[in-house]
Amino acid sequence: VNRVGFIASSLLVALALASSMLFVVDQRQFGVIYALGQIKEVITEPGLNFKLPPPFQNVSYIDKRLLTLDSTDAEPMLTAEKQRVVIDWYVRWRITNPSEYIRNVGLDERAGANQLNRVVRNAFQEEINKRTVKDLLSLKREALMADVKTEVLQVVRGAKPWGVDVVDVRITRVD
Amino acid sequence: MNLNPVLQTLTTLPGRLRQRARGMFNLNDPRWGRDDDKASSDESKPESGRDEGSSAKPPAPPPPPPPSRPQGQGPNQGPPDLDELWRDFNRKLGGLFGAVKKPGQRVRGSGGLGGGGNGGPGGFQPDMKSAGIGAGLIASVALLIWLGTGFFIVQEGQQAVITQFGKYKSTVGAGFNWRLPYPVQRHEMVVVTQIRSVDVGRDTVIKATGLRESAMLTEDENIVEIKFAVQYRLNDARAYLFESKDPAGAVVQAAETAVREVVGKMKMDSALAEERDQIGPRVRALMQNILDRYKVGVEVVGINLQQSGVRPPEQVQASFDDVLKAGQERERAKNEAQAYANDVIPRAVGSASRLKEESEAYKARMVAQSQGDAQRFRSVLSEYQKAPQVTRDRMYIDTMQQVYSNVTKVMVESRQGSNLLYLPLDKIMQQSAGSAAAGEPALLPGGVATPPALPSAPATSAADTRARDASRTRDRDTR
Repeated sequence: VNRVGFIASSLLVALALASSMLFVVDQRQFGVIYALGQIKEVITEPGLNFKLPPPFQNVSYIDKRLLTLDSTDAEPMLTAEKQRVVIDWYVRWRITNPSEYIRNVGLDERAGANQLNRVVRNAFQEEINKRTVKDLLSLKREALMADVKTEVLQVVRGAKPWGVDVVDVRITRVD
Repeated sequence: MNLNPVLQTLTTLPGRLRQRARGMFNLNDPRWGRDDDKASSDESKPESGRDEGSSAKPPAPPPPPPPSRPQGQGPNQGPPDLDELWRDFNRKLGGLFGAVKKPGQRVRGSGGLGGGGNGGPGGFQPDMKSAGIGAGLIASVALLIWLGTGFFIVQEGQQAVITQFGKYKSTVGAGFNWRLPYPVQRHEMVVVTQIRSVDVGRDTVIKATGLRESAMLTEDENIVEIKFAVQYRLNDARAYLFESKDPAGAVVQAAETAVREVVGKMKMDSALAEERDQIGPRVRALMQNILDRYKVGVEVVGINLQQSGVRPPEQVQASFDDVLKAGQERERAKNEAQAYANDVIPRAVGSASRLKEESEAYKARMVAQSQGDAQRFRSVLSEYQKAPQVTRDRMYIDTMQQVYSNVTKVMVESRQGSNLLYLPLDKIMQQSAGSAAAGEPALLPGGVATPPALPSAPATSAADTRARDASRTRDRDTR
């Protein structure tokens, strides 16, 4: 009986240890291992992984799927002929380099979305100021979207890269 | 550190075990079916096969048969056969687990996962025998249950994506499937072949613009509202699950941006009427393009414009109807005018040509008449030059005769002897009236002193020509 109890308790301890040292990185995530608060390793491949137990190493996850950033506010912008238009846009982006992202942007996707929102809005404002309503509507819609995208990419890949990639910038509505 | 090699053996182990067990406890084994008692053996055979199959999992039961033997079989079968069967079974079992069981157990133990089989190897020691058996049984049952949680059923039309420690492993189709149980592998069901559909363009009003969500601008800066349904199907369950966050939302967004781009390149009239049927295909192509770029794993099957699919917004609906009505009105007025023109113009043309013909005819006639007159005068002139006196006299007499024959005065010779004068005045009057009716017009405008006592009502057009004739004769007379 004594021996059975010993086996059972040692088993429990082993389980607890294993659960704190092993972790699963999902297909949809990056795993970031912090060693005492410092980024030690970024796991890009999904699978079962090993780390030291909590006080020494922690792990956090960050989404690596394509994310959507939708325009939130509908502030009118001025076109080249001083006409006010309201545009809605969305951006598809993803985090490509978690360590840069965490260092320069923030811990989770929301922080990046916030920052990106500002950059994209600013870019749109600039580009729309150069164009007429007619251009916006039909003639240069794609060109506008492409220009905004390059502008955003410039910021994002600037001196302090964000570790994100902007896949697409699109306008949904122009009113 | 990666545990993949260990997992590899762990995943393949059950399959190997199963294969071995199948070969071992095959029902077609001639030694098992030795008994010819049909009624009982038919029933007992599958029974025994199944029971022994399941009891094969506990590690190495000891030789004495009765305690762990399935109940209810003894009475049906002859004792010698059973004994032999059981010994045979045990021998095979010993051979099997002596060779295979040990590495399998070690693997499981080092993985730190099942851990249930640890009592097994120790079970061979005589002092721990009974305790080992009990622990092994419990552990094996737990292991079986744990393994049993790995079964799952995939419905037709769905696919299951199996992930192993979060990593994509495989995609399986409909049917009964098995994966490694919970901590190792998981599955996610995705409806693949069925068509999904999503409505785009709701009625909610956006505050900033005061327009509905389905409203969009056309190339000529008019507003139309378009509502449609997108039908789509997954063509890549893996991409759908892992490549993009909120793939269904991505489809909606792609649809919205695509339809606005398409409509933004159309004039309002063409969007509402002639190019309306092209909206769907164009949106579909553009959407597919966008979604492929996002690798959502979605195939757009169709775009269905809804009943009131493309229409101007409600606020201007009335005016729009007015415009349509006015257009129809214009059409109608145009048609009416056209009909009237069709009616009048031929008639006018007809009368014009008639008048022309008439005047032509009059001209021809007048020319001919004048020529005739001229001819007559010339011939008269030549006669006159030959014998002026005679001709003058004759003309005078002719004229006088003409004049007198139309006069109502009656000449009576008074120098003749008869005193009785019969004057049938009324008859003479009648006679002269009759002749006057014929000859009267020539005298009407004429300068003859006798006033015509006769009522005359000549036709105007005829009178003109005759008047001219008369004036000519008068000229002639005066000459």
